[in-house]
Amino acid sequence: MIKRYLILFSFFILSTPAFNQMVYEFEDSMQEKRFYSLISEIRCPKCTSGSIASSDVPVSRDLKNKVYELVLDGSTDAEIKKYVSERFGSFSDYRPALEGSNYLLWFGPFIFLALILAIFFINRRI
Amino acid sequence: MNQSLRFLIVILPILVLVFFTKVLLVDGDIKFSNFESKSFPSFELNDLNGDSVNAQSLDGIKLVNVWASWCITCLVEHPFLTKLAEKNIQIIGLNYKDSDFKANAWLQRHGNPYLFSIYDPRGDLAFDLGVTGAPESYLIVNNQVVGHIQGEMNQTKWETIFLPLITKAKQGS
Repeated sequence: MIKRYLILFSFFILSTPAFNQMVYEFEDSMQEKRFYSLISEIRCPKCTSGSIASSDVPVSRDLKNKVYELVLDGSTDAEIKKYVSERFGSFSDYRPALEGSNYLLWFGPFIFLALILAIFFINRRI
Repeated sequence: MNQSLRFLIVILPILVLVFFTKVLLVDGDIKFSNFESKSFPSFELNDLNGDSVNAQSLDGIKLVNVWASWCITCLVEHPFLTKLAEKNIQIIGLNYKDSDFKANAWLQRHGNPYLFSIYDPRGDLAFDLGVTGAPESYLIVNNQVVGHIQGEMNQTKWETIFLPLITKAKQGS
């Protein structure tokens, strides 16, 4: 009976997802922090929406490995994002760059809010 | 509460509603384009016959098709590619994360529409090109990537996306 439980138990142990995952090792915790923040800010090119951190499709795995490599190589965050967007388009960056029509994206809501507040206060004074 | 504020409360939700209805009624997919024209990445690889190839092999107007023997959709688009090759469209294969043995066997079995196939078992060139999976197709004009289609290539995509680009390229030259 115990043997049977042991066999069952070993199935659970051997099927841990940890065996299936690439383990990223870093020289210091700063690198690790940068790696995890970068992969959560790069969009998975194969998914409708989601970062490469949340995705396990082959291209996201390749991207994570590349980001890992570049972090260890000492590239800056900006360089890494540029490297990725040169290949997968500016679409790949979850934090749209402050340029061109993106100004509207970044500041539009604040302009809108200011407008509403202005109308509200002007009307109250009258 | 005064008149204009009341007016705003009514009109704003209506505007928002109109906006979203309009977006939702757009025909087909809203294109979140991740395509930006760029030059074809430089590379030094072999083709499936073991001959070396590089970016110079891509002058003129070429269709680069990313394929693999493990890719099911590649088999779906294969008859259409064969038809294009018969119409003298120059197609170059990019064999993606595959083994040359399996790839050659696949070509032997299903026919070979490619002038040659670049052998990229680790997907290095594909990564530089921004390939997200197989199949994908790129339109190359004089080493410049001018068009990109993800997924299966078919008559509709060919006619609506690539053909106009080819006409434009021919007029330009």
